[in-house]
Amino acid sequence: MNAKQQLKEGVITNNPVLVQQIGLCATMAISTSLFNGIGMGLSVLIILTCCNVVISLIRKIIPEQVRLAIFVVVIAGFVTIVDLLLQAFVPALSESLGVFIPLIVVNCIIIGRAEAFSSKQSVAASFRDGVFQGLGYTLVLVCMCLIRELLGSGTIGGGLFNGASSFLTLDGTGAGFRIFPETYAAGAMILPVGGFLTLGVLMALLQYILRKSGEKKARKEKEGEE
Amino acid sequence: MFASLVSISLGAILVNNFIFSQFLGLCPFLGVSNKMSTATGMSVAVIFVMTMASAICWIINEYLLIPLGLEFMQTVAYILVIAVLVQFVEMFLKKAIPSLYSAMGIFLPLITTNCAVLGVVLLNTQNYYNFLESVVYGFTGGLGFTLAIVLFSSVRERLEFADYPKAFEGFAICLVAAALFALAFMGFSGMKIL
Amino acid sequence: MSKLRDFLKPGVTLLAVAVVAALVLGLVNMLTAGRIEAIALETTTEAMQAVLPADSYTDLEVEDDGEINSVHAAAGGGWVVEVTESGSQGTITMMVGVDETYTCTGISITDSSETAGLGAVASQASEKGEAFRAQFVGVSGTVSVSKEGGEIDALSGATITSRAVCKGVTAALEYCANLG
Repeated sequence: MNAKQQLKEGVITNNPVLVQQIGLCATMAISTSLFNGIGMGLSVLIILTCCNVVISLIRKIIPEQVRLAIFVVVIAGFVTIVDLLLQAFVPALSESLGVFIPLIVVNCIIIGRAEAFSSKQSVAASFRDGVFQGLGYTLVLVCMCLIRELLGSGTIGGGLFNGASSFLTLDGTGAGFRIFPETYAAGAMILPVGGFLTLGVLMALLQYILRKSGEKKARKEKEGEE
Repeated sequence: MFASLVSISLGAILVNNFIFSQFLGLCPFLGVSNKMSTATGMSVAVIFVMTMASAICWIINEYLLIPLGLEFMQTVAYILVIAVLVQFVEMFLKKAIPSLYSAMGIFLPLITTNCAVLGVVLLNTQNYYNFLESVVYGFTGGLGFTLAIVLFSSVRERLEFADYPKAFEGFAICLVAAALFALAFMGFSGMKIL
Repeated sequence: MSKLRDFLKPGVTLLAVAVVAALVLGLVNMLTAGRIEAIALETTTEAMQAVLPADSYTDLEVEDDGEINSVHAAAGGGWVVEVTESGSQGTITMMVGVDETYTCTGISITDSSETAGLGAVASQASEKGEAFRAQFVGVSGTVSVSKEGGEIDALSGATITSRAVCKGVTAALEYCANLG
C-alpha cells in the first residue's frame, strides 16, 4: 500500500466519520467551536498514531484470544497520557472537551483501526494509517465546527482567534471573527439538533460526490472500451 | 435525598437523554435501531451493564483508586471493568437465552465500546455522585437509552417507505430524523424538580 | 501441558502489557501532577481575586451542608465562598465574593458542564457572560431571577442555569450572614 492511496482513503474514500460512520458521538458533541474541533481532532490523531505504531510493533506477540483486551489497555494508556498532558499544558481545552477526552478510549475509530489495520500491517504503514485516518477525522470535525459555529453564533474560529486583533489564543477565551450579528444566528445549530443535522447533511454530500465521481469513472471506462 | 434521586432520573431519561442531548452511545443506537426486536434486546443488555458498571466502578474508585492516589488510572480501570462485565453478560446469554444471543450477534461485544457505558461511569465520578446516586444514574441512563432506541426504531421502520434523495441513503437520513428527535427532546429542558 | 501453556501465554502477555502501561502512566502522572495542581490553584486564586480582591485569604473551616465547599476570609474583610449547585446538565461550581455588609461583590463560575450556547454562556468570558455575572454585584438577601420577581435577568434559554447560580449566591450570602 502506498502513502498516496492511504491518504486518499483516510481523507475521502474511507473517511472514518463520513464513510465508515464510526466515532460519531464525539464528532457531534464537541463540534461547537473551532478551538474544540482542532483540539479534539489533533488529540485523536496523536492517540491513533501512537496506538497504531505500538500495536503494530507488538502484533507478533499478541495472543489471538486476548487481543481486544490488549488493544483496550494500550488505547486507554495513551488516552490517559494525552488527557494528563492536556490538563497540564492546555487546561482550557481539557475543560472545554471534558468527558469526551477520556471517552476517546471507546472511540470506535481507534479500536477499529487496531483490529482492521495495525495488527496486520508493518509499523511504517500503520504510522501512515494513523496520521491519515486522524487527518480525515480532524477535517470532518473542522468542517462541522465551521458550519455549526457560523450558523449558530455568527462567528468563525471561536476560542482560537481573538476577533479584534486576530490574535491566536490558546486559553479558549477568544471570541472569533464575527461574520454577522448574533441576533441573526440560529442558536439551534450549536445545540444537539444542529449536530445531528450537520453530520447527516455532510454524510449525504459525500455520498453524492462519491457516487457522481463513480459514475463518471464508469462512463469513462465504457467510452474507453468502445 | 429522594428529590435528588428523582431529579437525577428525570434528567437521565428525558432532559439530558444520553443520545439526544449528550451524544453518547450513537454507534449502537444507529446500528441496532433498524428492528424493534434487536433494539429491545440491546437495550436490556445496556441497562444491565450500565447499572452494574456504575456500582462496581464506584466501589473501585472509592475504595481502591482514591486511597492509593491512583485517580489518573480511572479511565483504564473503568474500561477494564466494563470489558469484563460485557464478557460475563455474553457468557450468561449464550447459556440462558440462546435465541436472544444469536439475535444480538455482533452487537454484544460492541457494548464495550459503547460510549454511553463508559460515559455514565465517568460522569458519575465527575459529578461526585454517591453510591446510590451512581447506581440510579446508571440505571435510568440505560432507561433513557432504551426510550430513545425503541422510539427511533419505529421511526426507522417508516423511513424504509419514505421518499428521500438518494444521497441521503443509510445513516444520513437517520441522522436527520434523529435531529428532529433531538429538537423534540429539547422541549423537556425546562423540566426540573426543585 | 500444552493446554496449560495455551492458557498461560495470553494471560502473561496481557499482564505484561498492563504492567508496562501502568508504569508509563505512573511516570507521566508524576511529571504532570505538579503542574496540574499548580494550574488548579492558580485558577482558584484568580477566581478569588476577581470576585473580591485581597492580599491574602485564610481558609475557614466549613460545616458540611452540601452546597458550600469552602470559605476563605479575605485579608481586607469579607469572604470568598465556593459553592456547588446542580445545574441543568451537571454541577456548577462558583466563587462568590461577600463583603462585610453581606452583599455580593461578584461571582465567577469555575466549573460547569452546561449546554453549549445556552447555559454555558454563564461561565464564558463573552460579553453576554460578563453582563450576566455583573448583575450579581451588589445583590443581597435572597437572590432570584426576574421571572420569580427577583433582580436577575436569566440568560435566554437557560433559566435552570440562571436559577442555580442565584441559589448558589443566596446560599453563600446566607452562610456568611450566619458567620458574622
